Amino acid sequence: MLELRKIGLRKGAFALRQVSLAVPERDYFVILGRTGSGKTLLLETIAGLHRHTGAISFRGREITGVPPERRRVGFVYQDFALFPHLSVTGNIRFSDRYREQAGRIAWQELIDSLDLGELLERDIRYLSGGEKQRVALARAIYSRPDILLLDEPLSAIDPGFRTQIMENLKDLKRRFEVTVIHVTHNFHEAAYLADRIGIMLDGKLVQQGAVQEVLHRPASIPVARFLGYRNILPQRLIDPHAAAGHFALNAAQIRVDTPPVGDDYSMYGVCRERNEGVNHYELVVEADGCPVVVRLTKQSIDPVRVGPGATVQLSFPRSAVTFFPPAESPDEAPV
Amino acid sequence: MKHLFNLTFLLLSALVLLFIVIPLVGLFGGVGWSALFTAFRDSEIMGSVWLTMKVSFYGTCLILVTGLPLAYLIARHDFRGKSFVESLIDIPVMLPHTAAGIALLVAFNRGVMDDIFKSLGIRIVDTEAGIMIAMMFLSAPFLINGAKEGFKNVDPKLENVARTLGAGRFAVFFRVVLPNARREIVNGMLMMWSRGLGEFGAVVIIAYHPMVAPVLIYDRFNNYGLTYSAPVAAVMIAVSLSTFLLVRWVNNRKRV
Repeated sequence: MLELRKIGLRKGAFALRQVSLAVPERDYFVILGRTGSGKTLLLETIAGLHRHTGAISFRGREITGVPPERRRVGFVYQDFALFPHLSVTGNIRFSDRYREQAGRIAWQELIDSLDLGELLERDIRYLSGGEKQRVALARAIYSRPDILLLDEPLSAIDPGFRTQIMENLKDLKRRFEVTVIHVTHNFHEAAYLADRIGIMLDGKLVQQGAVQEVLHRPASIPVARFLGYRNILPQRLIDPHAAAGHFALNAAQIRVDTPPVGDDYSMYGVCRERNEGVNHYELVVEADGCPVVVRLTKQSIDPVRVGPGATVQLSFPRSAVTFFPPAESPDEAPV
Repeated sequence: MKHLFNLTFLLLSALVLLFIVIPLVGLFGGVGWSALFTAFRDSEIMGSVWLTMKVSFYGTCLILVTGLPLAYLIARHDFRGKSFVESLIDIPVMLPHTAAGIALLVAFNRGVMDDIFKSLGIRIVDTEAGIMIAMMFLSAPFLINGAKEGFKNVDPKLENVARTLGAGRFAVFFRVVLPNARREIVNGMLMMWSRGLGEFGAVVIIAYHPMVAPVLIYDRFNNYGLTYSAPVAAVMIAVSLSTFLLVRWVNNRKRV
């Protein structure tokens, strides 16, 4: 288990505020956050590159004061940070002098598994983004780390190759028995790769848990906004007795003008806008003074009837709704 | 309009290049091959040129050992008084060289520093050590500032990665930082060394003898005139220029 307890530090414009985190061994943990939220700083802190408050332990042993060279972490930066003065082989074998032979991973196995055979004698200046990424991964894995830290490893990769590389990444923890912490701003990456996920906003880890739980049950309004929930609505829309409180509503789980059989909630509103996508409509329905965004497939409504000015009935199941504590207000939450 | 722009800039550039080249060509043309050849066989001239190159090289090496850590600290860290330290490094460039010579003489040939040097068996006046101190003082900024730029160009992420791969701070410096800043460091060394070769004002105050080439040129010019000093100048320029161009070519041959 890798455990971070109340990690705090400030570095220029970036800060970490009381970050606590527990990652079981050989888990693939993805930290989702916007650019500038402190994700890279957190990875560098785990690697031992910054002084901080709080404590870090691994396998029950405190490693807070252990220097990076003795932590057994592997680091892959967003721009890969390959050594410009060394060849591909030189880069991968950089750790030869510092890691005992027995601790290193078998060379051929590594080269085969990341398909590096053709690249070994190449000059790193002439590698593509995907090739650089494989070299950076190989360099980190070759030193046989216990923890592998990946900083936006897919952002410099051509979209066409991403799927294949994600397969590679997903396989890492099994093949090389390593705990992976991967930071990104991309939800698809997170959903595909992660065993568990954490949301980082403004230097704070605001929510962590299983992937589906975090993505579909945001714990607060800022998280819901970050995850792209467009409907943050007052609770009175579905509960006339509620004096305060808000809920997030998944726009894709709302049905229009169908008998609300099996749905837990329903309400009426007036359609104000209808925008057409390739195979979907997006409606903005005003319900009790609040705009509700609804995303529907083209087959699911009658376009003649459902248009601006029409009164429609919206219905949705309990699973589409996430309630927030009454104290939270969307006005205070940063967008 | 475009042609006028190109023509104006080309013309002005050519003028300044000619301004630099003409004295060199004039010197070698004026001296002539036979006088140059004789000068190359003159043991006093060659001894003086060798002394100049050797002492400037030793000074460069000494500043390399102390200046690189300073340049690295400045390039990598923000600390209170950093701009003060940077200005301090640049001070020698701004001083009149004779004034610097006087300052060095006052500082190192009297009081505590003099005692320390004496206890180490080092004399300053009219010695190679004195010449080296003068050269080092006035030309160190070229090496330190060159190295500083070199270190700034090395991405700190390379150092971070190297550390996670098991390298300690010293190993990272020698295996990652230095090779990637090598070009600027060697160019800085070259600038410092060349600047040291030409040092006259401070050297002449601290050590007239043994005579470095600029002092020899001045001495011959004063006592015997242009005919005897020009060949020394030509030899000095020929030797230092070829060394400079050779090292620069080797250093810049590969990208890194």
